[in-house]
Amino acid sequence: MNKKIRIAIPNKGRLKKPAIEMLARAGIEVLEEDRAYVSRTSDPRFEAIFARANDIPVYVHYGAVDLGITGHDLILERDANVLELMDLEFGACTLVVAVPEDSPITSVAEVPALTRVATGFPNITRNFFEKRGKQVEVLEVSGTAELAPKLGLAQIIVDITSTGETLKQNKLKIIGTILESTSRLACNKIAYRTFETQITELLARMRGGSE
Amino acid sequence: MGCNTPEADGEILALLISSLTQVGLQDVRVDLGHASLLKDLMNAAGLDEQQKVSVQSLLACRDSVGLKKFMEQNNFQSGLRDAFLQLSCCRRLDEVSSISLNGSKYDRANKQLESLMELTETLKDYRIDEFVFFDFSLTKKIEYYTGMVFEASVPNLGLPIGGGGRYDNFIEKFGKLKLPATGFALEIGKLLQALTAQGFEIPEDPKTKVIVKSKFRDTAVEAVKALREAGVIASLEVTKRSLEKTMEYGKITETDYVVSVGSSLNSPVTVYDVKSNVSRDVMLQTLLEELGG
Repeated sequence: MNKKIRIAIPNKGRLKKPAIEMLARAGIEVLEEDRAYVSRTSDPRFEAIFARANDIPVYVHYGAVDLGITGHDLILERDANVLELMDLEFGACTLVVAVPEDSPITSVAEVPALTRVATGFPNITRNFFEKRGKQVEVLEVSGTAELAPKLGLAQIIVDITSTGETLKQNKLKIIGTILESTSRLACNKIAYRTFETQITELLARMRGGSE
Repeated sequence: MGCNTPEADGEILALLISSLTQVGLQDVRVDLGHASLLKDLMNAAGLDEQQKVSVQSLLACRDSVGLKKFMEQNNFQSGLRDAFLQLSCCRRLDEVSSISLNGSKYDRANKQLESLMELTETLKDYRIDEFVFFDFSLTKKIEYYTGMVFEASVPNLGLPIGGGGRYDNFIEKFGKLKLPATGFALEIGKLLQALTAQGFEIPEDPKTKVIVKSKFRDTAVEAVKALREAGVIASLEVTKRSLEKTMEYGKITETDYVVSVGSSLNSPVTVYDVKSNVSRDVMLQTLLEELGG
C-alpha cells in the first residue's frame, strides 16, 4: 500500500502561518500554498490539505485526513475522538466568559438562570454551565460574539481571547475562564496504527525542530 | 458462550478475520488489548483517577518519553516501570511473552499476561497471528469486558469496522446463569464504506422484483412461493389497497411487475408492467419460465 499521509492545515487565520512553518522545520515544506486545497509537499510521503481549522477535528476523527493541525479548543468543541500527539504551543488562547463592563455580574456563580449566552463554542459552553448547574440558553453565532450584548441578543458571551484587546474594545469584562488552549497535532486513531513508523519519525523531527 | 478457553477466543478472532477477508476487504488488521491488564497495573501502581487518565493518554499517543517522565515523577517501582515501557512498545502479540512481574500484588496481571501468551499460540495455529497486533492502550468504553478486547480496521477507513472481546461476567447479570462468553460485532455500514474506499463496486441486483396481489390469500401465498423458488424477489401485497395504489408503491420500490392472481393458479394471472402500465394475461408457469430463465 502506498497511500500518502494526509495532513490538514488551517486554510486561513492565525494558525495557518505557524503551522506551515512548523512543518517546514520538520522537513515537510508545503509546495502549493496559494493555489490548491490539496498540495504536494517536499516529502513525497505526505500531502497537505487546506481546511477550516474548525472542521479539521472532524476530518481527523473520520480519517478523511490522517493528521491535522488545529486548536485544542476546536477538538473539544467538535467532540472529536482523536489522538492529540503533540502540543505545538503556538496559537495560545483562552476561552472566557465575558459580560458588559457595566454588568453587575462579577463571576460565573452569579449568572442568573435562563441567561442568554452567545458563542461560537456551543458544546463547550453548554457543558461548562451544565456542570455548574446553571440553566442558560446558548445561542450559536459564528464569529463576532462580542457584538451580541450590544445588540441585546445575549447578556453574556463565551469567546476566545489571546490578548484581551477585542474584549476591551467592546467594553466587555471577563468573569470566568473555561479553558486554556494551544494548537495540537491531532491524529486519527487508525492512521496512527497504519502509519506508526512514519508518524513517529515525524514527531521526532517536530520535537527536534521545535527546540 | 459457555467457554473461557484461549481456543474460543482464537475461534472468534479467526471468524472475524475470515468474515472480513471473505467480503473482499484487503489489509485487514485487528488490534488487541486486555480489558483489565492496564487497569490492574495502574491499581498496583497506586494511581488516582486523574493519574490514570494521564497514563492512558500517554499510552494511546505512544509517548514513551512522556511515559518515562511520568513514571519517574510518580515513583513507579523499577519492575513495574519496565513492564509499562515494554508493554507500550509491544506491537506483536508474541513480544508480550517475555514480560512478567515479580511480587504477589502482580498475580492478576501475570495471569492476564499468561492468557495473552496462550492466545498468541492459538492464533498461530489458526494462521492468523499475522493479522493481529497488540495494543496495550486499547480499552473499551464499555465496562463489561473481562479479557481480550479488540478492534478491526483497514487503512482506508478512519474508524474501526468492528470490535469485541471476552465478557465472562455479563450474562450472569441477567439471571443466575454464570456463562463466560466471547464475541464481536461488525458495523455493516462501515464495512460497506471500507469496501467502497478500497474500490469495490456494489453490483446491481439483476433480479426481477414482483408484488403478488390477490383476494385469495392461499393462491397468492402459493404464487409468491413459486416465484421465489424461481429466483424472483417476490412479495405479497399484505395491505388491502387498490391496484392503482399497489402500482404506485411498485414505482417507488422499483418493482418490475405487479401480478394479480385469481382463485386458482390453473387459470391465467394478470401481469402489470409497473413502468409501462401495460398488462397481459399469462399462465403462472409461463411467467416463471420467463423470469426464472
